[in-house]
Amino acid sequence: MIDCDVHNDWATAEVLLPYIDRNFRDYFERGELPGPKGAFPHAHRPWLHPEDFRRQDIKPRNQAEHYSLMKESLLDRYSHDVAILTGEEALEASTLANPYYATALVRAYNDWLADYWLPLDKRFKGSIIVAAQDPHGAAAEIRRMGRNPDMVQVLMSSGSYRPFGDKFYHPIWEAAAEMDLPIAVHLGGQGGINYNPIGCGPTTFYWETHALLLQPGMTHVASAIANGVFEKWPNMSLIIIECGVAWLPALLWRMDANFKSLRKETPWLKRLPSEYARDHIRMSTQPLENPDNKDHLWAVLEAIDGKHTLLFASDYPHWDFDDPTKIPLPPAWRENVFELNARKVYSRLPQTQKAKVAELAAA
Amino acid sequence: MAAKQELVVCKRTEIAPGERKLVTVDGKQIGVFNVGGQFFALLNYCPHYGGALCRGPITGTTLPTNEFKFVYGHEGSVLRCAWHGWEFDIPSGELLINRKIKAKRYAVTVSAAGDVVVHI
Repeated sequence: MIDCDVHNDWATAEVLLPYIDRNFRDYFERGELPGPKGAFPHAHRPWLHPEDFRRQDIKPRNQAEHYSLMKESLLDRYSHDVAILTGEEALEASTLANPYYATALVRAYNDWLADYWLPLDKRFKGSIIVAAQDPHGAAAEIRRMGRNPDMVQVLMSSGSYRPFGDKFYHPIWEAAAEMDLPIAVHLGGQGGINYNPIGCGPTTFYWETHALLLQPGMTHVASAIANGVFEKWPNMSLIIIECGVAWLPALLWRMDANFKSLRKETPWLKRLPSEYARDHIRMSTQPLENPDNKDHLWAVLEAIDGKHTLLFASDYPHWDFDDPTKIPLPPAWRENVFELNARKVYSRLPQTQKAKVAELAAA
Repeated sequence: MAAKQELVVCKRTEIAPGERKLVTVDGKQIGVFNVGGQFFALLNYCPHYGGALCRGPITGTTLPTNEFKFVYGHEGSVLRCAWHGWEFDIPSGELLINRKIKAKRYAVTVSAAGDVVVHI
């Protein structure tokens, strides 16, 4: 099993001190923080979880327990083959106004990830977190960390300054394409300089908002396709993490209809939006929609060829964790969604014989 | 039908009001709760997704209201699943928003000697 969204946390953000660029270390040691000593510098979202966003049965008391509890409650319990680590608060550097400081923070995190987390367990693979508000700094970081073969993707928060297909971000796409790393966009970055993630203005309650946080995911998918990212960099994939899944078919139906009438706005596109999506957009499952009638869900997922486009993710250890033994997926899709699709999009994961055979069969 | 197993969990004084004790028997984890001096036992398995129900917070919650008001109630008799926060009434094992959904319950008695006994 390959789990595409596993959160590796720190007991204190001060673990980054040995790694942060000297120019910014003072900010961290003596500068203002959004919480007590050890807090990570970021602008917080205006919706606070009323019970804590982590599971109540996972309470690490020190740094070592972050791993030991993960090993017991996730990796060993569900027989993971690969866990792709997606960090925790480091993603929130995208909310900071100072792009130089933001990039220094994510660089320090990436080094700590490579030094501390990746050696802990051979099942771990890493994500290069970048501060997208600094596209050139992010590109340099992708080229620097991309040399580490255990890094399997670039990761940005869904909260953003502009939609990610925008030319402003093309240096990031360029660097990722050069390193042959897919770009993943994970829920987060809802505050600070980033655009309000909810259309019509801020919603009121946490659960209400969480149900709507697919909106930035929709926007990034439309933007990447319309701006020709996948024509310019045909080896690139965009992985949408933790934004839900069932909305994608409806969006693509609308995009195809509009494109047929107004193709002239985007003459660089050679195919229907849904065709780019089929080849280049991958969706992580969690939190998978779970209607009473599973046929309703499965019919929708069939429309995006879910058997070949979905990637299993648990979101451990968060409050909306998906248990791989319980999520409603068609049984015939499980091998693809739990393993083969990930081995295909994450080109740096070792290819098993089984994955090669499946690829040949699909071709 | 096999006779019910009687599991002596502990002395009644070992679980104070508002507290719980988790025990494992035949591979099953069971949470034993003291709610205002009365004892209740629930299987540590949430009917939603199989989560660690009995390891969640013991708390109260907001009562249903007809206006934009907050009225707190059920203090000490609500168990929130540790995974996704579904709220259960500890004495009945019922899910607050849909009483037809129930966590698995076990009868509990307290012996004359003060032992808390779960009937499995």
